Amino acid sequence: MKMPIQQANPDVGFQIAPMIDVVFVILVFFMSLAAQIRIEQILQTKLPGVAISSATTEFVDEQILQVGEDGEVSLNDESYDSPQSRDLPQLTGTLLRLKASSDAAKSKLVVTLISHPDSPYYRTIDVLNSLAIAGITNVTFTSDSDE
Amino acid sequence: MAGGGGGGDGEPEFQIAPMIDVLLVLLIFFMSIATTAVSRYDPSIALPVAPDANKKDDSEGELVFNVAWRAQTQSAVTTYEEHTVNLDDVVSTLIARKKANPKVRVLVRSDALTPVRYISAVIDAAAKAGISDVTFATLSR
Repeated sequence: MKMPIQQANPDVGFQIAPMIDVVFVILVFFMSLAAQIRIEQILQTKLPGVAISSATTEFVDEQILQVGEDGEVSLNDESYDSPQSRDLPQLTGTLLRLKASSDAAKSKLVVTLISHPDSPYYRTIDVLNSLAIAGITNVTFTSDSDE
Repeated sequence: MAGGGGGGDGEPEFQIAPMIDVLLVLLIFFMSIATTAVSRYDPSIALPVAPDANKKDDSEGELVFNVAWRAQTQSAVTTYEEHTVNLDDVVSTLIARKKANPKVRVLVRSDALTPVRYISAVIDAAAKAGISDVTFATLSR
């Protein structure tokens, strides 16, 4: 059987149609990838460290916040809200008042957060969220030692 | 005053050049937003919710630790730069990063149900390396 001989076409020029096809496929790929991205936010803390200063040291107003194993939250050994409460309204209200009084006294408010090693992480985040609502930025995060 | 006419009387033709321009702009936009977050962030982690957390301004100097909680085995797996790490071994790396850029900060991304002891281990490693800025990744809802 005789096969038909294809005509050689050496100069086809730039083809726009396949380029648009490819660009569309890449666009759809990145659009679908972008749709899966969730916007994350952050809660900031500052670990304690050694500060070398030649000036006089300013006294700070330190508050101790504790998170128990069952999620119970206490401020200076006084319990606030129930372990099931995620919004922590009592604690948030108290922190807002503490922040207002420390601003009025022009003193620096520092909160040390001590979480039980077996407490769930989200409970610590709940407390950090309350601190963010109160506008308290000087937060030190520590944990109970196992030993 | 006479308004400018359209010019020709015929049907306006489909212009391929502006369409390609728009297409390429869209492509670059989606490429830029898609590639920033993909490499270092473990998407399987269910972050805790904090509606009043701050918006992240930039990711410069961010050292990302992903702490994934495995409920079946009751254990957590900590990854740094896409590798599972022993936190005692990573301190030297963190010290080098801190030396190269004093403004580095540690970002902890962890499952909401992870016990705090695993988060504390990451914070402890950061403290040993002299990094005092520690941030926690959350979702707004």
